[in-house]
Amino acid sequence: MSEVLILGEVKAGSLETRTLELLEAGKKLADEMGGEFSLLLMGEGISGVADQALSYGPAKVYKMEHPLLEGFKPDLWVSALEQACRKIGPKVFLMGHSFVGMEVGPRLSARLNSRLTTDCIDLAIDPEDGLLLRTKPVSGGNAISVFKFQGEPQLATVRAKVFQAAEPGDAPGEIQEITPEIDESMIMVQSLEIVEEASVALDKASVVVSGGAGLGEEDGFELLEELAEALGESFDNVMIGCSRVAVDKGWISSDHQVGLTGTMISPDIYVAVGISGAIQHLVGMVHAKKIIAINTDKSCNMFKVADYGIVEDYEDVIPALMEKLEELS
Amino acid sequence: MTPHRVMFWQIDHIWIFYVLAALSTVLFLGGMAVCVLVWKKSAGSRSVSFSAEALKKMLLDVFLGRRLIEGHVAAGLMHLLIFWGFLILFVGTSVLAIHHYVTSFLAGTPHLVFSLLMELAGLMLLSGVIWALIRRYLQRVPRLERRLEDALVPLWLLLMVLSGFILEGLRLSSQAPAWAAWSFVGCWLGGLFSPDSAEAFYPACWWIHTLLCLSFIALIPYTKLFHILGAPASIYFQSAAEPVLLGIEDGAGEFDLGDAIFFDGCMRCGRCVASCPSAGAGEPFAPRDFVQAMRRTLWQEHSPVGDIRFMNRDEETQVDENFWYCTTCRACLEVCPVYGATFEVVTKKRMLAVEEGTQVPKLLNQTLEKLFKYNNPWESSKKKRGAWADDLDIVNLTKRGAEADLCYFVGCTTSFDDTAQRIAQSFSAVLKAAGVNFGILGKKEPCCGDIGRRVGELGLFEEQKEGCEKLFEKYNITEIVTSSPHCFHTFKNEYPDAEFRTRHYTQMLQKLMADGKLKFKDGIEAKVTYHDPCYLGRHNRIFDEPREVIGAIPGINLVEMPHHGEDSLCCGGGGGRMWQDLQGDVKMSEVRIREAEATGAEIVITACPLCLIMLEDARKAAGFKEPFRVMDLNELVLQALQEKEVRDE
Amino acid sequence: MTDMKIIVCAKQIPDPEAPLSDVSVDAEKMEVIVDAPQVISPFDENALEAAVQLKEEVGGKITVLSLGKKVSDTVLRKTIAAGADELILLQDDQFEKLDSYSTATALSDAIRKIGDYDLVLTGRQAGDWDSGQVGLILGEMLGLPCISLARAINVEDGSVVVEKSIPEGYERVKAQMPALVTVSNEVGELRYISRTKMLKMMRGSRSIPTWNAEEIGTSSDALQKMGIAALSSPPDMGRDCEFFEGSVDDQAGKLAEVFISLK
Repeated sequence: MSEVLILGEVKAGSLETRTLELLEAGKKLADEMGGEFSLLLMGEGISGVADQALSYGPAKVYKMEHPLLEGFKPDLWVSALEQACRKIGPKVFLMGHSFVGMEVGPRLSARLNSRLTTDCIDLAIDPEDGLLLRTKPVSGGNAISVFKFQGEPQLATVRAKVFQAAEPGDAPGEIQEITPEIDESMIMVQSLEIVEEASVALDKASVVVSGGAGLGEEDGFELLEELAEALGESFDNVMIGCSRVAVDKGWISSDHQVGLTGTMISPDIYVAVGISGAIQHLVGMVHAKKIIAINTDKSCNMFKVADYGIVEDYEDVIPALMEKLEELS
Repeated sequence: MTPHRVMFWQIDHIWIFYVLAALSTVLFLGGMAVCVLVWKKSAGSRSVSFSAEALKKMLLDVFLGRRLIEGHVAAGLMHLLIFWGFLILFVGTSVLAIHHYVTSFLAGTPHLVFSLLMELAGLMLLSGVIWALIRRYLQRVPRLERRLEDALVPLWLLLMVLSGFILEGLRLSSQAPAWAAWSFVGCWLGGLFSPDSAEAFYPACWWIHTLLCLSFIALIPYTKLFHILGAPASIYFQSAAEPVLLGIEDGAGEFDLGDAIFFDGCMRCGRCVASCPSAGAGEPFAPRDFVQAMRRTLWQEHSPVGDIRFMNRDEETQVDENFWYCTTCRACLEVCPVYGATFEVVTKKRMLAVEEGTQVPKLLNQTLEKLFKYNNPWESSKKKRGAWADDLDIVNLTKRGAEADLCYFVGCTTSFDDTAQRIAQSFSAVLKAAGVNFGILGKKEPCCGDIGRRVGELGLFEEQKEGCEKLFEKYNITEIVTSSPHCFHTFKNEYPDAEFRTRHYTQMLQKLMADGKLKFKDGIEAKVTYHDPCYLGRHNRIFDEPREVIGAIPGINLVEMPHHGEDSLCCGGGGGRMWQDLQGDVKMSEVRIREAEATGAEIVITACPLCLIMLEDARKAAGFKEPFRVMDLNELVLQALQEKEVRDE
Repeated sequence: MTDMKIIVCAKQIPDPEAPLSDVSVDAEKMEVIVDAPQVISPFDENALEAAVQLKEEVGGKITVLSLGKKVSDTVLRKTIAAGADELILLQDDQFEKLDSYSTATALSDAIRKIGDYDLVLTGRQAGDWDSGQVGLILGEMLGLPCISLARAINVEDGSVVVEKSIPEGYERVKAQMPALVTVSNEVGELRYISRTKMLKMMRGSRSIPTWNAEEIGTSSDALQKMGIAALSSPPDMGRDCEFFEGSVDDQAGKLAEVFISLK
């Protein structure tokens, strides 16, 4: 039976959202090829998660446990994954387009001699030859390309929030253990230290107030912060975003950047202030549920993708808006 | 007895004096020699020949202190007092030496006149120095520094002149000649001592005075006193030397003779700092500090003994990125007593930074790449360059068979920026109304290369220049009018082999008006003020034409801002700053818009696309709402014309 | 450690910063047409900057490799102007539109031909296909330690020490050289190369070695094209924008109501 294998990622004892999305994608592909989908979990002490995972309906949950697999050490994960793929022999192997996916994906492609397509926004099985059709944006978002390659397993990393997260339901599957043959001598890159840096988890925000070149100056962000605070009374998780120009000008740090080379987000509400809407930015936020644009240039691209627009100077609008918000609440 | 003076009275061991004098002379000449050596080594391809014009100008500037008084009357007078006081005393002492060693003539009436003159000179010097000390230490004028050197120099002079008077007083008190009254100060001072004590103190006082004076002379090359010789040299050089436009291969970024002389002639007066808009906005750039840092760098490079101005030893030579703040507005040159063009020194430093590569600010790096790839520094596609004219039915000179008398060179900023496009739209409408036969270059219009020159990317400038020249030749363009004073300045002054004539639109408007082609029948009632763009006004001395045009519109009342004409305040958009993001305490443009608003004017008129953008943004940032607004001169003119058209319908 | 031998892989692509109006999609020919000048892929320029900084610190030699059907030496000479010692063009009709795996194959053959090296640097992804794979696949093919997303690179006694980006912040890792590192923009923007330097470089009589597939020993079978099944313009992201009217206060009021309704 053809198998769609999914690489699971675990955080704090449960499956990452992107894994749940991959499970949904796996299900879709399995249906299209008349096969089944399964999940591969790697790490240490993952039995609990493995059990949990069964409830999302995979035919099998493969468990690769090993003390050396605790924490993410690319050299060991790649070797273990290679072994797993050779043992399981899936038709398709999906990973999230994440830090882990991008570290192991290409190296796996090299070892298994199978082409990988990264950052896919859609997947399907070609009814004619049963190969995976991988859809991804190219040329900075200016075009959408569908790729197809020979090779087994068919490899792809999948963009977050493209597929719905799977819902738990029946758990017909079983857990299978795979013993990885790995040891420390396989580690070619040693980790010396890990330094945590506070960063902005933009993709977790439900409302993003974002500023661009049209703010005119760094102080513009202060006004946006005030608005974010005001909105925080009515909404959870309101954050500040920006366009690349604002980062280049040194007005704000790059972890607030929304876009192709920043963070791709799909919040409930995206408020674009003084952002003209270059395509690299648009592809980063266009899937927001509601988009509000404030800009003095009526012809700018942002208004073309917005639900609501105000063609006025933000310095006039935002204080007035905050006043009205206060009145109404 | 015939009036005369006893020389070396009571002084024994005169030989010591001669040794000291010789020592002083050696030190002085030694310092001068190193200076000349440094100048020679840094000469580069610059040289200077004799020019009677330049000599005349130098003598007038030096002896009349014109620049100093023009800049600030009080400071100028103070300096004249010191200058003439010291000069007369110096000449007088030399005359005395001649009288003593060569031929005696200072006896009788000559001696009396001599004594009186010296007395007056001493008083002038004394009052000048006291005034200087008051300005620097009591009034604490901001542009004046208060380092050790700045205290020592006037104090030294003070001690010299006081010791001189006291010495004289002691002599007169002791000798009590009949003509003592001619040296009235000394006479009065002498009265404070008894003749006996006077006689006793005299030798010691004499040696003190002698030491003070001889060391003063010796120290001239080793302190800012060098300006006594350096300033005249700089004034002469700037007038006599031919300006040069070098390519980078010919050493364009290297400091040359003119720079070396300017650096050494700089007296640290700080007038440049007081007029610099960057320093005024609290940015980390000040012309004087930059010049002095460059001076030290030059000396460290060329002098075998390092910088001989020993009191500067602790000062900075590092300027980091500060030289990117300069807007090249020329305010410094306008006021510098030695005609130092600091902004040109800045441009040289930029040339070196651009060649080296790692000190180019990121945004500028990106802008220059864009300019090279797309012929414009903005975000835009070359194809959109003529888009502002799409619905306007304007002749495109690059189309086959198109011909016109005049080429309107729109410029990058005016072509692409929403705000600045108003200039192009209004100007073309005005030209049409005046019946001028003109055309534009549309998509094919290149960049004039101004940014390249301002930020030191000479190679890029040369490429753009070649592109422009080829295009103008291809389409037989001989008459150009520009929107931007920057394009105008570049074409006029930096395209030496240009076969076309360039004008700025203000000149054109004024001419059309004078020829009766622009008739303002009904005006707009408004109080306006005019902001002189740096590259139109200070750089190219076009102050009157725009004012004439404004003045000719009935109903318009022009009020001037405190800083107007030659001392107009830069908007901050020049020198490549438009494409960077430089922070100061306040924005230059905000300083300017506030000055404009304070005049009570309803409209600020400008004649430059960068000024228009900067001042518009500043107006919004400062919270000044309509009806206070910024307009380009063309927009005003068009309105004044249209009123007529509307009326006639 | 002194005298490092660094290889930088730099890809030539149409300017990713080209204004939107200059980009179009030909669905039939399955090509993205960019009416813009060719440039070096931005992250590869970062890789070059990292290499030049290392060379300035410890000394050494930088060799730049660029692969394509037709690689313009006018574009790539910029690397020499920036501080590279050697530029080798890998040019062959067969190198047109290769997939990442094949690109890495050809590059690894070329690098094996060069022989001796300490560090291979590439950008984390190229500005045209945005795949982000070639670097790591190359590392695997050469059997090198692979480090990706470098934001700072140092060398210490025969090892490379890299600060790499991770979701929580950064991780300092160490690997014995020879090693492969893919570079992100935090290592630094490539220093500005003045036009004068570029023109001098162009006019220079220096000839640039060009190797084809045969010369580097890559067989045609190993070279597969990017398997494009279909190419289209991005779907219309357009929405019908409701513009508010009236005074600023009116509009602000209506917008406030929208927010309240979305609560």
